[in-house]
Amino acid sequence: MELSQPRGLLDQWSDLFWRKKAILLFILLAPPLLWLGVVYIGSLLALLLQSFFSIDEFSGLVNYEFTLKTYGELFLPANYDIILRTVLMAASVSIAAAVIAFPIAYYAARYARGKMKAFFYLAVMMPLWSSYLVKVYAWKLILAKEGILNWAVEGMGASILLNAVLSLPVIGGNSLSVSYIGTFLVFLYVWLPFMILPLQASLERVPLNLIEASDDLGAEKRQTFWHITMPLALPGLIAGSIFTFSLTLGDYIIPQIVGSSRRFIGQAVYQHQGTAGNIPLAAAFAVVPILIMGFYLWMAKRKGAFDAL
Amino acid sequence: MSNAVEFERVSRHFGETRAVDSVSMQVEEGHFFAMLGPSGSGKTTCLRLISGFERPESGHVKIFGQNSEAVPPNRRPVNTVFQDYALFPHLTVRDNVAYGLMVKGADKSTRHRQADEMLELVKLTGFGSRKPGMLSGGQRQRVALARALVNKPRVLLLDEPLGALDLKLREQMQEELKSIQNQLGITFIYVTHDQGEALSMADRVAVFNEGKIVQEATPREIYERPRTHFVANFVGSSNVLSPTLSVQSGGPSRWMSLRPEAIRLCDPSNSKLKGTLQNIRYLGASNRLSIRFGEEELSVSLPSTEVAPEKGVQVGLTWEEGATHVMDEDH
Repeated sequence: MELSQPRGLLDQWSDLFWRKKAILLFILLAPPLLWLGVVYIGSLLALLLQSFFSIDEFSGLVNYEFTLKTYGELFLPANYDIILRTVLMAASVSIAAAVIAFPIAYYAARYARGKMKAFFYLAVMMPLWSSYLVKVYAWKLILAKEGILNWAVEGMGASILLNAVLSLPVIGGNSLSVSYIGTFLVFLYVWLPFMILPLQASLERVPLNLIEASDDLGAEKRQTFWHITMPLALPGLIAGSIFTFSLTLGDYIIPQIVGSSRRFIGQAVYQHQGTAGNIPLAAAFAVVPILIMGFYLWMAKRKGAFDAL
Repeated sequence: MSNAVEFERVSRHFGETRAVDSVSMQVEEGHFFAMLGPSGSGKTTCLRLISGFERPESGHVKIFGQNSEAVPPNRRPVNTVFQDYALFPHLTVRDNVAYGLMVKGADKSTRHRQADEMLELVKLTGFGSRKPGMLSGGQRQRVALARALVNKPRVLLLDEPLGALDLKLREQMQEELKSIQNQLGITFIYVTHDQGEALSMADRVAVFNEGKIVQEATPREIYERPRTHFVANFVGSSNVLSPTLSVQSGGPSRWMSLRPEAIRLCDPSNSKLKGTLQNIRYLGASNRLSIRFGEEELSVSLPSTEVAPEKGVQVGLTWEEGATHVMDEDH
């Protein structure tokens, strides 16, 4: 038996790739790296750079001198409120999403099989197929004073309850569609799939025999949950919360359509770089979510959230 | 002595599959009890019925005389060494071993001290602060053992615990397991498909096939006096003589078992049976000879020190009186 020869140019290439794996790797990775490196990281660095400039209050022109003045402006009460409001909203959305997602993800990972599993994926993914704007406007109608939710609550004779909730200070309002509660509900609805899916994936990877081993060693169900299931599913929980947290931090459409007129970080960025023409402040605002997420990940790693990976 | 575990006509079916089919058995306290059988014979399901991960459809599983059906796994005085160890990957070796004590509320210093004692027993002193991922297969096996033993179970269940280890390590662990069992004096129930393992370690062996126990006896009895074809074949590939061949050799007209190593070659003129040497397989310490008698074939184990005859020649076979054993015919 003789060694066979390459037939044609394509065969020669594939032989070359076999001999020099680095060439293939380079061809495969160069385009995405170029894209990521220049377009994405580059623009991010440009943004960072902008945040170290400042704006001249009289002329409204950007003053290209290195300064921390713009970052200082973030701590003005009006701006600081925006940051605090956004972080609190992102945190409550993430916590609520985790609480709601856990049983769903647990059921899907442990019990759903065959058709039920297909139904689960469909049910979780389907909302992602429709337009984001359509969903948000639909929620505005649902939550409005003339909306279906109010109508249903009235029909059940529970208006007092709803009014009591709406009369709460800060988070209440004239109707759900113009309150923080409304903003929260829409955020929760829109980002929930991003929590369910990674959580389900990580729960699926918790081997059943570890649960049995814990049982066998005398643990009660709740002990097994806190000592075994939770720590092993934590990477999924963190991954999900990174989605819900960062998506809420950056969003500027939902709070504009549903909610009180008080601004969130995304809106502040949008207004400062657009109508107000204050690019440096917009950039400084945009850096805030990056710092918060970085800090969050660092804390999660320090607390051992990724040890089970 | 009382029974640690007792099965009373226990059945567990999975749909059409009769995983465990009306099994009755008794495991005496302090015994090393082996459940031996091919995969899918129901032995692991029996183990899971004892640990509580399966519940019987009918019959009773008694643990120290009490019906166990209503008792969940975490309240049974038994612990399991799982087949693939099932160590908790996010906990250190020490915390793995101390887990059973931790969930029962032992304080940190007590459980760490006891865990370290257990690690010493399984010869893993100093490995306490490592993660299971950093250990070899044999070391993980020992951690799994220590993690079960630290709870001082009255019955230890072992599900093919040495299945993933290589031969040398397996033999070493067999000896260690046996000596730990002697030292602690607790009941071991051991599932395996390796007949050598079952024979060398156990006080009693139950041979499983298709959800039923086909024979339950001491290792010697199982080996020397297999009750059925299945036991004869599964436990050390014994020869089975048909009634016709048995009569030819001067025995009764019954199915008989005969060990390959009990047969000697001799001069055809004064032999019990004459046949043709069909094939020779070299097995290191011995040669395995296949000898044909018309439709039937017997294997003979011949020490490598003896010279084997040529292929195709006629050979005579003989054996001591009492080497044959009459089997139940309907199996």
